[in-house]
Order: sequence, then C-alpha cells, then structure tokens
Amino acid sequence: MKLYQIVAKDVMRRKKRMLYATLGIVIGTMTVVGILTIARAGEARVYDQLEKYGPNLTVVPAISSLDVKIGDLSLGRLAVGENYFPEERLTEIRQIADGKIKESLNITSEGNIATLAPKLFVNTNVKKTPVIVVGIDPEEERGIKTWWQVQDGGYLNDTNQALVGALASELLPLNIGDQVSLNGNEVIVSGILEETGSDDDYQIFVPLKALQQAFNKEGQISSLDIRALCNACPVEFIADAINQNIPGVRAVAVKQVAESEMGMVAKMKNFMLALAGITLLVGLFAVVNTMLTSVHERIKDIGIMKAIGASRNQIIQIFIYEAIIIGIAGGVFGYLVGTALAYGAGPLLFGGATTTYVPLYFPLSLFLATLTAVTATIYPALRATQIKVADSLRSI
Amino acid sequence: MLQLRKVTKIYGEGDTKVTALKDVSLQVSPGDFIAIMGPSGSGKSTLLNIIGGLERLSSGEVILEGNRIDNLDENALVNIRREKIAYVFQQYHLIPSLTALENVLLPLVFRGGNGEREKARDILRKVGLANRTEHKPSQLSGGEQQRVAIARALVGNPALVLADEPTGNMDRKTGEEVLGLFDQLHKEGHTIITVTHNPEIAEHADAIIVLRDGQIVDRLNPREGRRDV
Repeated sequence: MKLYQIVAKDVMRRKKRMLYATLGIVIGTMTVVGILTIARAGEARVYDQLEKYGPNLTVVPAISSLDVKIGDLSLGRLAVGENYFPEERLTEIRQIADGKIKESLNITSEGNIATLAPKLFVNTNVKKTPVIVVGIDPEEERGIKTWWQVQDGGYLNDTNQALVGALASELLPLNIGDQVSLNGNEVIVSGILEETGSDDDYQIFVPLKALQQAFNKEGQISSLDIRALCNACPVEFIADAINQNIPGVRAVAVKQVAESEMGMVAKMKNFMLALAGITLLVGLFAVVNTMLTSVHERIKDIGIMKAIGASRNQIIQIFIYEAIIIGIAGGVFGYLVGTALAYGAGPLLFGGATTTYVPLYFPLSLFLATLTAVTATIYPALRATQIKVADSLRSI
Repeated sequence: MLQLRKVTKIYGEGDTKVTALKDVSLQVSPGDFIAIMGPSGSGKSTLLNIIGGLERLSSGEVILEGNRIDNLDENALVNIRREKIAYVFQQYHLIPSLTALENVLLPLVFRGGNGEREKARDILRKVGLANRTEHKPSQLSGGEQQRVAIARALVGNPALVLADEPTGNMDRKTGEEVLGLFDQLHKEGHTIITVTHNPEIAEHADAIIVLRDGQIVDRLNPREGRRDV
C-alpha cells in the first residue's frame, strides 16, 4: 500500500468537500479553456476572411475611391469611377514585389513569385440591367481567388467567353451558352460561379483584353491585386516601395488591416483571459478555504498519523496528493465544460465562427488546474504540519 | 530501557502558569508493564506524551535505550516514533476510510515501505481478528477496533508500547479481552506503559505509579505490596 492509495480512499470518503473544492477549479479552468477556444475560433475566422480576400496588396489609381473589403471588414472606400492606371506599370510593380520578396526570403532564383491580378471595372447594361463587368487575367485571377468554384460550365479559356457570378446569373438571367453584348462585342457565357458571399456574385468576368477592346480602354486597368508568396512576406515594404517609386498609384497592404483586426482579437482575448485569471484566483481561494476546513476537520487524523510515524513531508505529501486529485478532476471537467461553453458562445461572439475543440488545451487545462490546486494547498498543508500531536490528542 | 530524570512540564506563563509535572523521575526496565494512575489533571497523559516525544518538557531528561530523546529535533523524533515507540489510544483512532488491515499497515507505509501485508495479517491474527481484516472501523465493535489499534501499535515491533486508557471506552467483558491481550504482550516481553483509571489493569502491571498534582506520590507493586516513592 502506498501513501497515495490512502489519500485516494480518504478522498472518496469526503466526496462532497472534494467536489466543492473541485468545482472552484472547474470554473476557473473552464473559463480559461472556453476563452482560449473562442479566441482561437475568432482568429481562425479573421484568417479565413483574409484567405478569402486573397491578395495581400491592392494597387489602385492614386485618385480613386474604391470600397475595398476583406469579407465583412471594410478597408475604406476606394470607388473605381473612371480612374485608371496604365497596364505597363505592372512590369515595374512585379519587379518591386518580387524583388522585395526575394530579398526578404533570401531567394536568388529568377522567375515570378508574386501573383499579380489586374482588373478593369466597367459599368454597363446587360439585358437592360446595370451591371459591373470585370476584365481579368483568367490565370492570375484564379491564383488569387483560390476559393472560386465553377458550378456550371467551365472557366474562362478564350477571349470571347464570360464567367458570371451566381446571383448575376439568376437576376439577369444568364445561362451557359447565352450571348452577352458588351458595347456591341459579343461574348458567350462559359461558366457560372458558385456563390461566394462577396461582390463577385453580382459581377460578370471577361478576359481583360476583350473588355479593354470592347470599351476602348486598351492598356488601362482599374486596380491590381497582388498576392505575395506567404504570410510572412513583407507586404508593407512592398506597398511602401510601390507608393514611393510608381507615380499615380496607391498600394494598400491588406496585412496592416489584418494585423489591426488580429490585434483587436488579441486585446479581447487578453482582457477575457484576465477575467479568467480572476476566476481561477477565486477558484484557488475556494480550494484554500476547503483545504483549511479539511485541515481543521482532520486535526485528529493528522495528529494520529504523526503519532504513528508520519513525518512533516508525508503530511504535506498527503495534502499535495489530494490537490493533484482535485487538479486532475478539475482539469478534465474544466476542459470538457470550457469546450462546450466555447461551442455555445463562440458563434455568438464571432458571428459565423466555427468553434472546434483544441486537444492541446487538454494538457494545458490539466496543468493549470493541478498547478492552481497544488498552489492553493501549500498553505493549508503547512498549517497541517504545525499541528501538535499532543494538542490534537487533547482535543479528542 | 527508559529513564526520566527530574522531568518538569509547565504550561503557560505568569498568572496562567500551570505546572503539569514536577521533578518526575522514573526508571523502566525492558519487559516492564507499568500502570500510571491518578486523578484527572494529575499529569498522567502529559507524562505519557513526554515519554513518547509528543510534547516538549520544560526541564529534565528523557533517556530511551541510553540516548536522550527530549532534546531531539522533530525529524529525529519522527524516527523514534517509527522505530521504537507505539501508541494505543482510548478512542482507538483508526482511519475510517481504511480497512483493519490497511490501518495496521499504516505505520509501515510511513516508514517508507510498500506495506508488508503478510506481517500485518499475522498481527491481526494474533489479536484474534483474522476474519475481520477487510472490515472498516465502522463495521467493527469497540473491542475489535481497539484490537486493530493494538495490532497497529505492534506491527512496527516497537521497544515501548504507550497506552492511554486502552479499556476506557469498553464494557467490562470487552475490557477484559483487551487486558488479556496486554497480558499476552507483556509475557512476550514487550515493555508497556499505560495510563489508566482501571484498578484491574493496574493489578496486571509490574508497577503502579501514582501521580498527584504532577508529582509521583506512590509507587506500588501489586504483587509485593505498597512501597513509598
């Protein structure tokens, strides 16, 4: 028989008191796990929005006001209007973007790295309905909008084809094979996109050259989306370099907005974690209180144990084992309840956020709960060691 | 075996000062069965606690097997309690969540061993509880609980058994059974010091020490008649 087995049996005898102490720890760890899980879901949602938005940089004419958004997050108004910048700037912009990325990642090889997707926006009427037609470079655009799915037909592979947004195809209506007249130039609907939840749903996409020719805008583009190689790419530096070196355009680094958004999530997470810390502290005091009561109730038992040979360290060990049992139970239930709480509250706090349980938080929860319980037990355990055997026997 | 030299114990200070023991000297030889008697508040339990190292004395010396134990630190006293001295209490004081066998094993666990179950079973057999080893204290009678407590005291093979009113909570018949057990231990050579109000226990002892107001006022030998101290 080992000391921990004696403790386990004694804990079973005093279930109610142990449950009370465990409850304090459960509430604390539950809050921490819940908040971390919710915050993680929130971060995931922001990342998801950024990923959906695609580009890390948007380049527009310096005097434009196009409403640029990352999903639901507004970047500011940057309307297209009749403002354009020359397509020939693309070469210089690519040199700057690739150069900065190569410099940052220490890449020496030749070749393009960033994806540059130019766009030309044209307001026109299709079937007597006003609609925005967007001229795109089909390959580059697909490199940016990785989430695009063609629900009917196929993607653009010829200059006289059009790709129609899901809602535009319903509203106009347009089906595969229909002809669309763009300023007298006919294009054929080759595919219809699946709904994306963005402005793309209301637009018609045609090859850039075809749109430029149809509306006499050769060599002109309305905006340029740039997707760098990675999250760590120096988009701010690229944006600065473009703004400083290329006249007539303005580059906006999406990452700045992302960082600001993530900063908000982080601040919220820190605030909530501080509250969770307070909850955990309250839990700690609940354990201190329970353990002190336990010491008081067991003065006799502690005295007897000392009388039959228990050392100071063994008395402390007994209380630490109890704390570990409370901590493990508190950690397990704290994780389960905290995760359940996150599933309930996550979508309410971050609309549309998908909460998923995080296995990594299980050992964290166990560690936190055990640490709290053990910390809370140190003082009562020391009090227990100070019990004088003769006094405890006299009190019997 | 055990020597007490001018042991004095004073509680409190100033107006609240109480002298529980005053210049108590005593010699106990190996195998002795000593009964300490006296009225309530005479210092019997204090004397027992001082012998067992559970209480610090104010002055004097306690010598066990040739070594002073009154000036030892707490860790050294723990070792004395583990190796040399065992207690039997009036109210048994078994751990309620443990079975009889586990209660008997407890001193061995505190010694750092795994708990030698067979040894504990043997002792329980010896005190007549071979069939009650897996019972918890609440499932045992008072007499049986005291037998478990005696078994717990003996499992560590102590040099000295200290008993505080071991039959105080029992009816006559059960008390006689426990007393029989003490007789058996005595015959086997255990040194026993017991505090008691029960004259029948005292009759089984080699010597009766009578305390009054913290001083030994009589030393009786039940078999040889009275002798002044």
